[in-house]
Amino acid sequence: MNESFLLTILILSPLLGIVLLSVMPGNHRFINYMGVLGTVLPLVLTLIVFSLFDRTVSGVQFVEYRQWFELMTSISPNEPYTVAYDLGVTGLSVLFLMLASLITFLASLTALRLKESAKGFYILFLLLELGLLGVFVSENLFLFFLFFEITLVSMFLLVGKWGGFNREKAAFSFMIYNGIGSILLLIVIIVLFVEMKTTNITELTMLLKETDSLEFLSGDTRTWLFVLLLIAFGIKLPIVPFHTWMVRVHVEAPIAVVMIHAGVLLKIGAYGLLRFGVGFFPQQLKDMAVVLAILGVINLLYGAFIALVQTELRSVLAYSSISHMGIVLLGVASFNTAGLQGAVFQTISHGLIAALLFLLVGVIVDRFHTTKLEELGGVASQAPLFAGFLLAAGLASLGLPGMSGFISEFLAFLGLFESMPVIGSVGILGLILTAVYMLRAVLAVTFGERRPLFDGIRDLTAVEIVPSAILLSIIIWIGVYPAVLSNTLQLARTIGIGG
Amino acid sequence: MDYVFLIPILPLLSFLIILFTKPIYKKAGLVGTTLTGAAFLCSLVVLFSHFAQGNYLVEANWFSIDTVMISVGLEVNPLNALMLVIVTLVSFLVHMYSMGYMANDERYATFFSYLGLFTFSMTGLVLSPNLLQLYMFWELVGVCSFLLVGFYFYKPEARAAAKKAFIMTRIGDVGLLVAIFLLFWQTGSFELDVIFQAAQAGDIAPSLLTLIAILIFVGAVGKSGQFPLHTWLPDAMEGPTPVSALIHAATMVAAGVYLVAVTYPLFSASEVAMTTVAVTGGFTAIFAATIALAETDMKRILAYSTISQLGYMMLALGAAGYTAGVFHLTTHAFFKALLFLAAGSVIHAVHEQNIFKMGGLSKKLPKTAALFLIGSLSISGFPLLAGFFSKDEILATTYGDGRYVLFVIGLLTAFLTALYMFRLYFLVFLGNRSTEAREAPSVMLIPMMVLGVLAVVGGYIQTNWFGTFLGDWLETTPYTIAFVHPEAPFWIPLVASLLAIGGIAVAWLVYGRKTSIEESNERNGLHTLLYRKYYVDELYQGLFVRGSRVVAYFWMYVDRFIIEGGAAAVTYAVKRFGQAGVKLQSGQVQTYSTVAFSGLVVVLLLIAVLGGYF
Repeated sequence: MNESFLLTILILSPLLGIVLLSVMPGNHRFINYMGVLGTVLPLVLTLIVFSLFDRTVSGVQFVEYRQWFELMTSISPNEPYTVAYDLGVTGLSVLFLMLASLITFLASLTALRLKESAKGFYILFLLLELGLLGVFVSENLFLFFLFFEITLVSMFLLVGKWGGFNREKAAFSFMIYNGIGSILLLIVIIVLFVEMKTTNITELTMLLKETDSLEFLSGDTRTWLFVLLLIAFGIKLPIVPFHTWMVRVHVEAPIAVVMIHAGVLLKIGAYGLLRFGVGFFPQQLKDMAVVLAILGVINLLYGAFIALVQTELRSVLAYSSISHMGIVLLGVASFNTAGLQGAVFQTISHGLIAALLFLLVGVIVDRFHTTKLEELGGVASQAPLFAGFLLAAGLASLGLPGMSGFISEFLAFLGLFESMPVIGSVGILGLILTAVYMLRAVLAVTFGERRPLFDGIRDLTAVEIVPSAILLSIIIWIGVYPAVLSNTLQLARTIGIGG
Repeated sequence: MDYVFLIPILPLLSFLIILFTKPIYKKAGLVGTTLTGAAFLCSLVVLFSHFAQGNYLVEANWFSIDTVMISVGLEVNPLNALMLVIVTLVSFLVHMYSMGYMANDERYATFFSYLGLFTFSMTGLVLSPNLLQLYMFWELVGVCSFLLVGFYFYKPEARAAAKKAFIMTRIGDVGLLVAIFLLFWQTGSFELDVIFQAAQAGDIAPSLLTLIAILIFVGAVGKSGQFPLHTWLPDAMEGPTPVSALIHAATMVAAGVYLVAVTYPLFSASEVAMTTVAVTGGFTAIFAATIALAETDMKRILAYSTISQLGYMMLALGAAGYTAGVFHLTTHAFFKALLFLAAGSVIHAVHEQNIFKMGGLSKKLPKTAALFLIGSLSISGFPLLAGFFSKDEILATTYGDGRYVLFVIGLLTAFLTALYMFRLYFLVFLGNRSTEAREAPSVMLIPMMVLGVLAVVGGYIQTNWFGTFLGDWLETTPYTIAFVHPEAPFWIPLVASLLAIGGIAVAWLVYGRKTSIEESNERNGLHTLLYRKYYVDELYQGLFVRGSRVVAYFWMYVDRFIIEGGAAAVTYAVKRFGQAGVKLQSGQVQTYSTVAFSGLVVVLLLIAVLGGYF
């Protein structure tokens, strides 16, 4: 792939929307539509990247490299530390990129309902998208960190200003936890930079693999770096017990933001673990595989059990996310092709399913003004289409075959059973619990006696059907034909393990 | 044979067409019935071309795990060719019947779309050549069952029943899933053929093979409503009656039996696994039959009867009676579907399910009554009807396998079967209670008549007198399985027939002679125990449902107080630390200089000590 500017254009594309929005008057009739339009350009560009991505060759594609700045240090005066501006996508990141653009676009549609200060909302929203796109196309750690911080700031403001009743508490909680995660990540980045003299991700992966002789970093240092990385991305994923902030955000943030949060932002945790954890420290990961697997099982069962007794739909889904992310950990812990593939599939799949579920929660909030399970019920009588979508989303979430969730969980557990059948057997009970809490929640909303209170409620409108249908079709498409993911992923090449 | 893909595709088409054209209401039934009928014809063609051409397999790549290519495909062998015919036939008849039964339901089209999805999934399950694909369809039929049990979604009982059906079967499914994982890592494949070859070659350690077989059986137990995962099946009767006939009698619940039959080479390699299957089956057979004796709901009696008959099939398979098990699966599909459809016809006419509130219906519904009688006689094992031959085959195999205790249980169950069936028949159709009722339309009667004929003659495909066509054909397999064909003692069919007639006679003495019987609320201990279904539901409620809620609340409080509390404590500590700092910033120069001076002292001391000046 020759020199191209495609990725730069891609990450800057949300700026067009931001600029246009900022010159429009805040009370303009089309301000929301402008915001939605702003997410279309990045989506189109991502689709171009996705379709041009060559699935037959290995390595990073669409590479852009420019020297950015140099640091002279007294440690090695002759070899300056170079920080570069380099972008590129691999089979792994191109999938995440696609996920980010798509869900941002669909989420922007749900914010069309927003009446007050839509201008500021959409500007921050697009800034968030810029950060997300940047995270997934950064080929070096400095850039990654930079974009990662952009997402934090814009999220903080979005939650804090447009959230629910306890929005400020949620925003601060978000900021503190993620701030701690950032510091840990920064420490890892600096140590790697100082020791390896590069922050390029591919280069680091190669160097760290070749130097198993521990020329650069001692085994102990690597273990510590891996643990720091695990905590940093563990907060994001989240791993129990670092999850409380995430439940708050799920419950308080505006729906469009929760869709992105559950659908993409949390997935940065998985992306980081896969790209940096597995890529940089494979040996350390192998050594700690049992710990990771146990953490995964805890996540899976802990989330599932708590979801079982939640009385409010958003909390059910928040704990469900925790539970599902446990499966990602299990896949990573198994450290074979099946498991890692399962982890990636599960990340993407859960991103789509969570986005769909929260989109529908948005409809509930809009129509019924409550998400308490006991105040809902019998909705299938008045809004059959909505009930159908919610049921389909619930079934997808509990891993129904023919939908993306099944194949992901299947692969993750398949991988786990090769090395750790006992832990796997405990974890697999989570699949039963998932069915229990998911059906409990979904049926509590849709099934049951007709409530006259909800008569005359509007079923899904076109602007809600389209995104729901798109998400559901992709979920089914992946479930029926998983090769659509595995062909792009080319796992063995991307993460660089033989299996 | 190359058109075998049409068999699942046609019902899928029916599902999609109806789903996307819901407004064309009244046509949905016609579309569904026609397409399923076409699928049935295809199945017949496939069956006959199997006679001519033998087995058939076509596969395509699906996706890859590392270097292992996972494929999808379609396979036709004797077992699944037979299943295809049963599934599509019953589905076709049920589609037709539902055009009458569901005619006034406002979700008529939705009903038919679900039926199409189910038929697609069930035929897909049967045609699967590998375990992953089989598992996917296995779950899909479960979901269809869930959707149809909860079809009357506004009824709280239906909601609970649907949820229960899904969760109970999923418990079993997890067992099957683990078995699939273990097999993959032992053999490197999901392909049944590869797995069987590895098992035959002794590549799997015997103890592991036993474990795997039992895990597969756990899946079968869930699906086929065997003890201890049986409780969902009676509750599943909340669904519309045609659904009970199709899914919860003839096809899906038989999928558990089918699963054991399909993976038979694994079972037959492990004596422990075989015994587990036989004992579970035998126990379930008599366990469910006794509950059916005390049940008062017409459909639930039939549901317990289904559990009991599925137990028979498992017993047969466990006693090395491969043909016997599959044979009974076939005849049971006919007579049990007939019984459910006839029961549906009664319910459709009188809107009542309690057998003590019905009576004398043979006058009002003569055709339904006659058909129900045929079904009852067949299931009771009345001589020369379909059920007689298949039950006889099971009893003979069990005896021949040397499992005498289970053989006696089988005989007892035969007696109980006749008893509870005719208790039901006499109470509902005899007596002179007069209820308003009109005979069902012919669109409902014709499917019942077809099944009625099959319930009579279906047994002649496998008899010791005319020829063992079914067995000879089914047992053509490349794997070495010890198929047992014991020389059955002549007295077994004789005793079985006598027990069946005895059961009918007892039912006549107790329920048949009287003109009207009220349900008595006074029950003695045994009756109560049966009426409460041995308190299994209550036990599960207390143990598992409550238990998991207790665990859940425990973790919720851990979450709320320990984790969140811990985080709050850290924040609080930081805040206090900050406040302490604030106090230092008092603006008093004396304080500042004290702090500065103490600092200087500390630094000097450090230099002195660390620098080695001491």
